[in-house]
Amino acid sequence: MIRAAFASTAITAGFCLFVLLVVLVPVALLYPEPGEVLSRFLLGPFEKTRYMGNIVELATPSMLTALAVVLMFRCGAFNLGVEGSFFLGGLTTAAMVLWMPLPPLVGIPLALLAGAIVGSVVCGIPGIVKATTGASELVSSLMLNYAAVFIGLFVLNYYLRDPTAAMLSSDRFPAEYRFESLIPRTRIHIGSIVAVVACIIGAIYLNRTSQGLEVRISGTGNDFSRHLGLNSVALNIRIQVIGGMIAAFAGGIEMLGLYSRFTWQNTTGNGWTGVIVAIIARDNPILIIPAALFIGYLQVGGDLVSRAFGVPTEIVSLIQALVMICVTSVAIFQHPALRKFVQGDRGGAAQ
Amino acid sequence: MQMTGDETAPQKALVEFREIGKTYPNGTVALRNVSFQVIEGDILAVCGENGAGKSTLMKILAGIEQPTQGTIHYEGRQRRIADPNVAGDMGIGMVHQHFSLIRSLSVAENLALGQEPRRGLLIDRRAAADRVRELAQKFSLDVDPNTKVGSLSVAAQQKVEILKALSRNTRLLILDEPSAVLTPQETQELFVQLRSLRARGVTIIFISHKLHEVRALANRITVIRSGEVVEDGVLSEMSDAAISKLVMGVDVTRASRNQRDLSAATPVVVVKKATVATGDADRRIDAIDLTIRAGEILGIAGVDGSGQEGVVDLLCGNVQPDEGDIALLGKPMALATTLDWRRAGMAHLPGDRFQIGGAPHMSLVDNVMAGSHRDKQFTRGPFLRVGAMVARTNELIKTFNVRCLGPREPLNSLSGGNAQKLVAAREFSSNPKFLIVNQPTRGIDVAAAAMIHGELLRLSQNGTAILLVTSDLDELLQLSDRVAVMFDGRIAVVLENDGLTPERLGPFMLGLEKTS
Ligand SMILES: Nc1ncnc2c1ncn2[C@@H]1O[C@H](COP(=O)(O)OP(=O)(O)OP(=O)(O)O)[C@@H](O)[C@H]1O
Ligand SMILES: [Mg+2]
Repeated sequence: MIRAAFASTAITAGFCLFVLLVVLVPVALLYPEPGEVLSRFLLGPFEKTRYMGNIVELATPSMLTALAVVLMFRCGAFNLGVEGSFFLGGLTTAAMVLWMPLPPLVGIPLALLAGAIVGSVVCGIPGIVKATTGASELVSSLMLNYAAVFIGLFVLNYYLRDPTAAMLSSDRFPAEYRFESLIPRTRIHIGSIVAVVACIIGAIYLNRTSQGLEVRISGTGNDFSRHLGLNSVALNIRIQVIGGMIAAFAGGIEMLGLYSRFTWQNTTGNGWTGVIVAIIARDNPILIIPAALFIGYLQVGGDLVSRAFGVPTEIVSLIQALVMICVTSVAIFQHPALRKFVQGDRGGAAQ
Repeated sequence: MQMTGDETAPQKALVEFREIGKTYPNGTVALRNVSFQVIEGDILAVCGENGAGKSTLMKILAGIEQPTQGTIHYEGRQRRIADPNVAGDMGIGMVHQHFSLIRSLSVAENLALGQEPRRGLLIDRRAAADRVRELAQKFSLDVDPNTKVGSLSVAAQQKVEILKALSRNTRLLILDEPSAVLTPQETQELFVQLRSLRARGVTIIFISHKLHEVRALANRITVIRSGEVVEDGVLSEMSDAAISKLVMGVDVTRASRNQRDLSAATPVVVVKKATVATGDADRRIDAIDLTIRAGEILGIAGVDGSGQEGVVDLLCGNVQPDEGDIALLGKPMALATTLDWRRAGMAHLPGDRFQIGGAPHMSLVDNVMAGSHRDKQFTRGPFLRVGAMVARTNELIKTFNVRCLGPREPLNSLSGGNAQKLVAAREFSSNPKFLIVNQPTRGIDVAAAAMIHGELLRLSQNGTAILLVTSDLDELLQLSDRVAVMFDGRIAVVLENDGLTPERLGPFMLGLEKTS
C-alpha cells in the first residue's frame, strides 16, 4: 500500500512540475532571458548549500503542521486550526523563554511544552464544540484562528513588547535558548530532526498501535465505529487536541530555531502549507517528509526568481498558488474521505 | 471462432464479448478468455460463485473497468468503452451491487449528476425534477424527485438507481444483484417492472445467486466460474440441479437443524415491554416481549419495515428503550451502549456490510481485527502485534473461504460476496454469547450460504443465543428454533418451529391474525 501511495505522490509531484512550467513559461517570456528565469526557479534551489538549507528550514514547520493535519484528517476531523495553534504556540514559547529564568536544558523543553498546551486550544475547542453542539469544526476552527491572532497581538503589545525596538516585537531571547545551526552556512537546526522523527512516530502510531487503528476506523465514517462500539467522539476530541499540540509545538520550534525576537503580527501561513503538504502526502505521515521538502523547494525557487529578476512577489505567489490549487484538487479527487466531505456527505455512502 | 450457445437462435446479438480477459493491477486474474453474446430483447441471467468475475465483466461493459485483453462488439461493431459516459451514450445503463448514489443529494440531483440541464451557468433544478417525474412515469417507478436519497428506504433507493440507469435512452440495462437488498415482495415488484421494460425492447442482464429468481425472470443464462464461461444457453433447457452443479462445480449439501427442546436452557436475552417511540417510523417498536435462550436461534419474520430493524437497534445498543427492560445474562442493559453490549458478549452481523460492517478502504487485517484490537493476544502495551493479527486474519480467510489475494489488500478489492463473508468471519469468531445476524446470506453464493448456516448452527450448539433477522423465509424456517412474527412494531406471535410453513406465518405477517 505504501508503494501505491508513493507512486501517487510521485505522480502528483510530476504533475506539479508540469503545472509549474505551464504557468511559469508565460511569465518567464516577459523577461529578456526567459531561459534564465526558468533555470533559476527550477535549478537555483540546488545551487548553494544555503539555498538547500532554506528548503529544509521551510519544510521543518510544515512537516509538523502537516502531521497535525494528517492525524486529524485520518480521524475524520476537518480541522484547520493548525494555523492559529502554530501562532499561539510560538507566542507562548517566546513568552516562557523571556519570563522564566531557568537553565536552558530545563527551560527549553518547558517553554515548548507550555506552547504546545496553550496552542492546542485552537484545535481542541472546535473539536469539543463539534462533539457537544454538532457545529462544523471546519468553520469554527477557521474563525478561532483569527481570535488566536488577536489574543496574541494583545499579549505582545501589552506584556512582551520591547519599547526600545523600532518595530512591534518582543525583547530579544537570551542567546542560550536559541537553537544552534547544525550545518555550517545554513540555519538548519535540531527542529528538523525532531520533525522527521515526529513523522516516523506518527506513522507508527497510526499503523501499529491499537489507538491508531481506532483513529483510522473513526475516520472512515461514523457507522463502522458505532457498530464496533468505539467511542469515536472522545477519540476525535483527543486527536484534535493532540493535533493542536503538535502544530503549536511546531510554532515554538520555529520561534527558537529561526528568530531572535517574537515578531509575528499575523498568522504565518505555516498551517496552510501544512494542510497542502498533508493533502499531497495522501494523509501518509511518512510521505509528509518528501512532500514538505517539495513545497519548500517551490518556495525557495520562487524567492530566488523574485530576488534575481525583480519578478513581483505577487506573481511568484500566484504561480505557487496555482500549482497548489491544481495539486490539491487532484489530490482531493483521489482522497475518499475528503471527497465525501466536499460532497457534504459526512456519514458516507458505501462505494 | 465464435460461441453461439444455441443454434436455433435467429436473433441478433446486441453485445458480443470476444476473449475478454481482466487482470487487476494487484495481480488478481478476474476474467480469462470470456466469449459469449447477449441477444437483443433477452433477459440474460449471469450466475457464478462469489468472486467468479460477474461484476468485473459487467463493469467492463459499463465502461468502469477496462479489459486487459479482448474486445467488445456492440451492434456488430467493435467498440472501446473508455468510460461510463461512453457506455451511457451507447445506451448501456448499470445498477451496481453497492449503491452509488450520493446520500446528501436529492433524487433529482442524483439523476442529473453529469448531465445537468442548464439555464445559463446554473443548473435548472425545475427541469431536473421534471425529468425525474417524466422518467418515473414512463417506467412506472414511483419516486419523489425532491427527497434526499439518504432518507429513502433501500427499496426506494434501488428504484432511483434503476431510474438513473434508464435515464439516457437505455437499451441495455445491467443489474448487479438487484434483489440482494430487497424483500421477496419488493423483488416481485421489481420483476414486474423489469418484464415491462423488456416489453419495451430493453435488453436486460441480471446477476443473481438465487435460482428461483433466475427462473422467474430470465430466458437465457451464462454461468461463470473462476473467470471463465462454463455454460451459455437457453434456461428452459437446463435443470436446477445442472445449474447449481455448473455454478459451484460441486453439489452443495444444505446444513440442517436438529429439533431440540430448549425450554430449560438459560435465558440469555430477556426483553420486557420495550418501547422505542422515536426515530424512523419503520424502526419504532411497541411493547416488545422477547426471550432468547442459550443455544437457541430465534428468527424474526415480518414484512420489511415491521420493526425488525428496531429490535436489532435495541439489542445492539444503537438505541435505548423509552420504556421497558432488557437484560443480558441477568445484567440490566436498558441504558447500555454498543460498547457495553459488546463487552457483555454481543456480536452483530449488520445488514449493510460495506457501510456499517466494514471500512472499504482499509485492509482485510484491519477490518477483521477491528473490535478485538485491544485483546491481550494482539497487543503488546499500546502496540499492535501485527504478526499475530495477520496470522489470525489468514486463519479466518481460510475457514470462511474468503477469496482474496492476501490479508493486506483493501476490503473493496474483494467481490461483494467475499467481503460479506469476511465481515461474518469477524463477528462469528468473537465467541459471542449473543449474536445478532441481519440478512446473513444476502449476496452470498449457495456454497457460502451453506457454510454460514453451518457456522450459525455450530455456534448455537455451543450455547450462543442467536437472533436471526432475514427476509428469506426459507432460510428463516430452516434455521430457527422459534419464530417471532412482527407486524407494525409489535410481536404478533411467537411460534415453535416444529414444521412451520410460510403459509402458517403469512396471516400474522400481514396483520390478519394475532395472539398475544
Ligand atoms: N478493485 C479490485 N482490485 C483488485 N481485485 C479485485 C477488484 N475488484 C474485484 N477484484 C477481484 O476480482 C475477482 C472477481 O470479482 P467480482 O467482483 O467480479 O466477483 P463477482 O462474481 O461479482 O462476485 P460476488 O458474487 O461476490 O459479487 C475477485 O477475486 C475479486 O477479489
Ligand atoms: Mg459482484
